[in-house]
Amino acid sequence: MSRYEVNSLLYRLKKDPAFRARFTADPAAALTHADLTEPERAAFVARDMRKINELGGYLHLVMSIPGLAAH
Amino acid sequence: LVAVGRIVFAGAMSHVLDPDYYDRACGAVGRRTVVECMAEIARMGERFSATGADALVVVADDHLNAFSFTAVPALCVRIGRQVQRMTQDHAEAFDRVLEHMPERYALHEDLANAILAQGLRDGFDLAMSWEAPLDHAFLSPVNTLHGTRPIPPLVPIWVNCFVAPQPTARRCFAFGQHIARVVARSPWNVGIIATGGLSHFPELSLPRVGETDTVFDRKLIHWMEHGKHAPLLELGMDELHKAGEHEFLNWMVLLGAVTPARADVRYFGELPRINLAAVEWRLG
Repeated sequence: MSRYEVNSLLYRLKKDPAFRARFTADPAAALTHADLTEPERAAFVARDMRKINELGGYLHLVMSIPGLAAH
Repeated sequence: LVAVGRIVFAGAMSHVLDPDYYDRACGAVGRRTVVECMAEIARMGERFSATGADALVVVADDHLNAFSFTAVPALCVRIGRQVQRMTQDHAEAFDRVLEHMPERYALHEDLANAILAQGLRDGFDLAMSWEAPLDHAFLSPVNTLHGTRPIPPLVPIWVNCFVAPQPTARRCFAFGQHIARVVARSPWNVGIIATGGLSHFPELSLPRVGETDTVFDRKLIHWMEHGKHAPLLELGMDELHKAGEHEFLNWMVLLGAVTPARADVRYFGELPRINLAAVEWRLG
């Protein structure tokens, strides 16, 4: 089964421009209330899409988030 | 209503049909290959338009755009009178393919409702949506098929190809058989396309983007060309996942709708990122 918290966050980053802007400006602050494990949080803060994919983030999301996408 | 409906066209094809995308991903060979594939799909579209079909059923998948994580339907029929193109600010990658396409498309409301209602009556617990927009999986093939010609009313159907657990290949095939029965009981001539594939993105793993499984593709093509559909029913999601054939579930729906028709491969082209394909079925 999928890793819900990681993917719902990826989805929000893709579809919510205001949240994406907050994340881009200060990733750690934007994720304060996110229900993530420490490795997940570290991967997001580092914008490490390969690690996020490895942790269960869906490929099509990590490849298509504006400004953050892995290619 | 007089029940004289039939399926008058069936085709399947890759669904990121954009020279710029493949130029960025694979260089000049990517652009050249997708242009060749698109030319064959356009010729398929000319044959489809010549049938004067009343509707076009489009079987494709959601790339985590339409349904988010509120719900992920295994099989979903888009109902209503019209459907919108997906919008995405600052679109990246395959989402950029949509940017110059028309924003609204008519739906064949009666056929969609019949597939849905008769499906629920006959044991298919289908989801329905009035609002889900269409991403490139639907609109890139539809627009490439038609060019500037009118697009008939659509019946979009989603198959969950990516979010485990997915429906089985056998179940998708059975759903396609249901679609064929609905059409046969209807007064309409209907085209059906399935989109996506062939092999790409094995295991949905970012480090493996760029790998394909051409041997697996050739096996699928052989079975389709010879109308040997029984082995396809045995395909498991694990092997589809490993081979990057997730979207073949869409093709399984089409195969159920046209079985035992044989397929003609109009195009098959290998790229480092994906094997592009366009296939058409010989309908009696």
